[in-house]
Amino acid sequence: MRRALASVVVLVVAFAAAPAAALTVRDMMGHEVTLPAPPRRIVSLVPSVTEIVFALGAEDRLVGRTDYCEYPPAARGKPSVGGMVNPSLETLVALKPDLVIATDEGNREETFQQLARLRIPTYLVHATRLSALLDLIGRVGELTGHAAAVAPLADGLTRRVDAVRRAVAPFPRPRVLYVIWPEPLIVPGRESLLTELIDVAGGESVTGQERQAYVRFSVEAAVALAPQVIVLADHASANGGGSGAGRPEPEKWRRFTSVPAIRAGRLHSVDLSILHRYGPTVVDGLESLARLIHPEAFR
Amino acid sequence: MSAGRRLALALVVLTGALALVAAISLFVGSAALAPGAVLRALAGRAGAESVESIVTLQIRLPRVAAAALAGGALAVAGVAFQGLTRNPLAEPAVLGVSSGAAFGVVVAQIFGLGLSVLEALGVASFAFAGALLAAAAVYLVAVVPGGLSIQTLLLAGVIVGIFFTSAITVLISIVDFNRLGGVVHWLLGNLAPIPAASLALFAALALLGFWLVLRHARELNLLALGEEAAVQLGVDAERLKRRIFVAAALLTGTVVAFTGPIGFVGLVVPHLLRGVLGQDNRLLVPTALVGGGIFLLAADTLARNLVSPAELSVGVITSFCGAPVFVYLLRTRYRVSL
Amino acid sequence: MNALVEFASVGFTYPQPERTREGGFTLTDVSFGIADGEVFGVIGPNSAGKTTLLRLLTRVVAAERGEIRLEGRPIARLAHAELARRVAVVPQDAPRPFPFSVEQLVLMGRYPHGPGRFFESDDDRVLARAAMAATGVLELAALPLEQLSGGERQRAMLARALAQEPRLLVLDEPTSHLDLRYQAETAALIRRVNAERGMTVLLVSHDLNLAAEVCDRLLLLSRGRVARVGPPAAVLERERLEAVFGCAVSVEVNPVSGRPVVQVAWPQEVRRAGRVG
Repeated sequence: MRRALASVVVLVVAFAAAPAAALTVRDMMGHEVTLPAPPRRIVSLVPSVTEIVFALGAEDRLVGRTDYCEYPPAARGKPSVGGMVNPSLETLVALKPDLVIATDEGNREETFQQLARLRIPTYLVHATRLSALLDLIGRVGELTGHAAAVAPLADGLTRRVDAVRRAVAPFPRPRVLYVIWPEPLIVPGRESLLTELIDVAGGESVTGQERQAYVRFSVEAAVALAPQVIVLADHASANGGGSGAGRPEPEKWRRFTSVPAIRAGRLHSVDLSILHRYGPTVVDGLESLARLIHPEAFR
Repeated sequence: MSAGRRLALALVVLTGALALVAAISLFVGSAALAPGAVLRALAGRAGAESVESIVTLQIRLPRVAAAALAGGALAVAGVAFQGLTRNPLAEPAVLGVSSGAAFGVVVAQIFGLGLSVLEALGVASFAFAGALLAAAAVYLVAVVPGGLSIQTLLLAGVIVGIFFTSAITVLISIVDFNRLGGVVHWLLGNLAPIPAASLALFAALALLGFWLVLRHARELNLLALGEEAAVQLGVDAERLKRRIFVAAALLTGTVVAFTGPIGFVGLVVPHLLRGVLGQDNRLLVPTALVGGGIFLLAADTLARNLVSPAELSVGVITSFCGAPVFVYLLRTRYRVSL
Repeated sequence: MNALVEFASVGFTYPQPERTREGGFTLTDVSFGIADGEVFGVIGPNSAGKTTLLRLLTRVVAAERGEIRLEGRPIARLAHAELARRVAVVPQDAPRPFPFSVEQLVLMGRYPHGPGRFFESDDDRVLARAAMAATGVLELAALPLEQLSGGERQRAMLARALAQEPRLLVLDEPTSHLDLRYQAETAALIRRVNAERGMTVLLVSHDLNLAAEVCDRLLLLSRGRVARVGPPAAVLERERLEAVFGCAVSVEVNPVSGRPVVQVAWPQEVRRAGRVG
């Protein structure tokens, strides 16, 4: 009788152990991704995900990144598979990943199809809101088995965001024009995280009603919207400071003396490129942005 | 040596060269596989899930096949257009036909068509339609009584090409900004590994186009006499023009559908072959099929490995090669006298 | 008369936009026959319809009225390849650009006899070489056509037409761009081909004297109609020529051949300019 019971226990434990190792998760696009075991060799094709992995201390699970995953600096120590748009499939396969994390904003549909053909599980992310960013942190934590590190990170970020909200709450909200790229003029629309950040930072994005996330805008229309603060993103640091591309050229904007922002001298060009990489450091950028828009709130 | 024997000899040499380049292409890549590993994978002796197996059989081999097919198809399309227009500077990219096909593909992509066989057929149809549209536009603009004027033809090609490229730009500007990088990347031409079934479709369409041109190769020669003289020799010139047109558009459209627009192959390869074999289309068409494959395969191998692990687009390499050749041709052998 | 070619009340008009000076614009009620084995010339002013006649004969365009018969059969019923086996045309100009060699050009003339073949047969090659020998361009066989002189090009084109083994050889303005020497050579070649092979020749020319010397019979076209058909002496008659060409001419007889020689009567200003003192 005892031997039979022992066998039953063994069998139950054996059966219980096996399925516990495999997991099925749902990615941020709603697709089911089935993994035979928790991933230990992850390739990240998304700079913000790479950043989150390091922020959670899970970098031992990361085996590959893209050329654009340069933050934190330690990320450069991981092998790169190439660009976000044109990663080398061979290099990727040679890293023997058991999971690839990618985004539909920056990676190509064709890459996902190729990965599916090669039967490499792909987890898609999509984060264009602060809430989605927190969700993403949680998911990365779960995938990398570092769920314990999620709460401290996420709570810390949430506290800082709320602190900004509280600090700017009493003040009137100026109209803000954020220039992502000067020529052609590209500004954030409704779907962009930047619009939300401007809102949290106590400003009203003048282009916030535009349907798309990134809108090619005309300079005329921007001027006609009479912004009270203009923020020019300086991409020079991202370009290694060498090329002139992405330099904000504030003199061009100073010509528009009818614009309230120019008259009040509230034309700022700053290296806020961290705002364009939607990882945890976005909150650093948020704080800087809030300081620009409401200097009086942070004296 | 008779023409038939020269053709046979040329084909033997070229096929050998193709095999050699294909072999090199299989051994070289950013995954840094040892030659032994590649050979094991090819022989089927490596594990099905092993890195060398996946990289060699599922990434490199389909890519080699796609490059050889695409290069051959583009070179044959080049020979066809050059025979049709009696102008050695005519090729699908120069005549705006590639842009027309690319426009067709961009439209198809907006409808969400992808890489599965049925979808690939859909994309290929759109590309073919776009190619035909562009080719017809160029022809109608450039045809004058007496034939096709060379200058008008090149101008018409440029104009039609610009038109379709602008149309693509309009479509792109509607597309989500985040997908922009992907579309721009595609427009440079890329040889990605294609699933086997779609590859078979690609091969079938390309070989159909090739056969359509080959069976009229002799009459294409006669077209050099002028349309009226060709008719007087018994050639149905109108039907010939139509068929060559359709065949060249089919070849171009197919390639663009599967790999994006790649230029200059149809210009450089026929030119090189003419230098060795002469003007006879009966020799040029079959050798272009193989020679084009060699050219594009070599270009793609370079594109894959020059800035590893990032990849250059193969269209970049062919343009770098092709543009100087084009200029050289314009200024020396085919100088147009006023 | 054993007619090889017959035109019976042929009428044709170009559709409006195609009107060119060379092609003329209408042929009306044209009837004549070309006898088997003769050298037949078509002459007339530029817009009289000479080229149109040629195009109708080779079915580049189709007659709207009347009928054209070859060996008694209407040519409208013949397939293009069949017609090409019987009628060969030597055009006025060599095609340009033309990147092939002389031999490749002449071999093209064999196409109507084997349109289904991919490569030419050994017989084709033999016939081509014979044709090149007949017109004296055999040594130039491997050269690109574009490297030849005007006269040599003309002879190469003629060789191609001969390689076609036609019943009727058609020459469109064969001497218009040639030096005097090559004009004489071409004239001799035409007669030799006619004598040695019994080949019927149709010659279109605006050189009245060449036509007079070389041809057995002439057809004078004027404004799309037949002005006169017959031997040169009958057709090249002063009053008729003046009416058709619209200028004063004089017609004499060549003492050597007995054929008519037509001379334009130079206007007063020209004559006065030449006078000395």
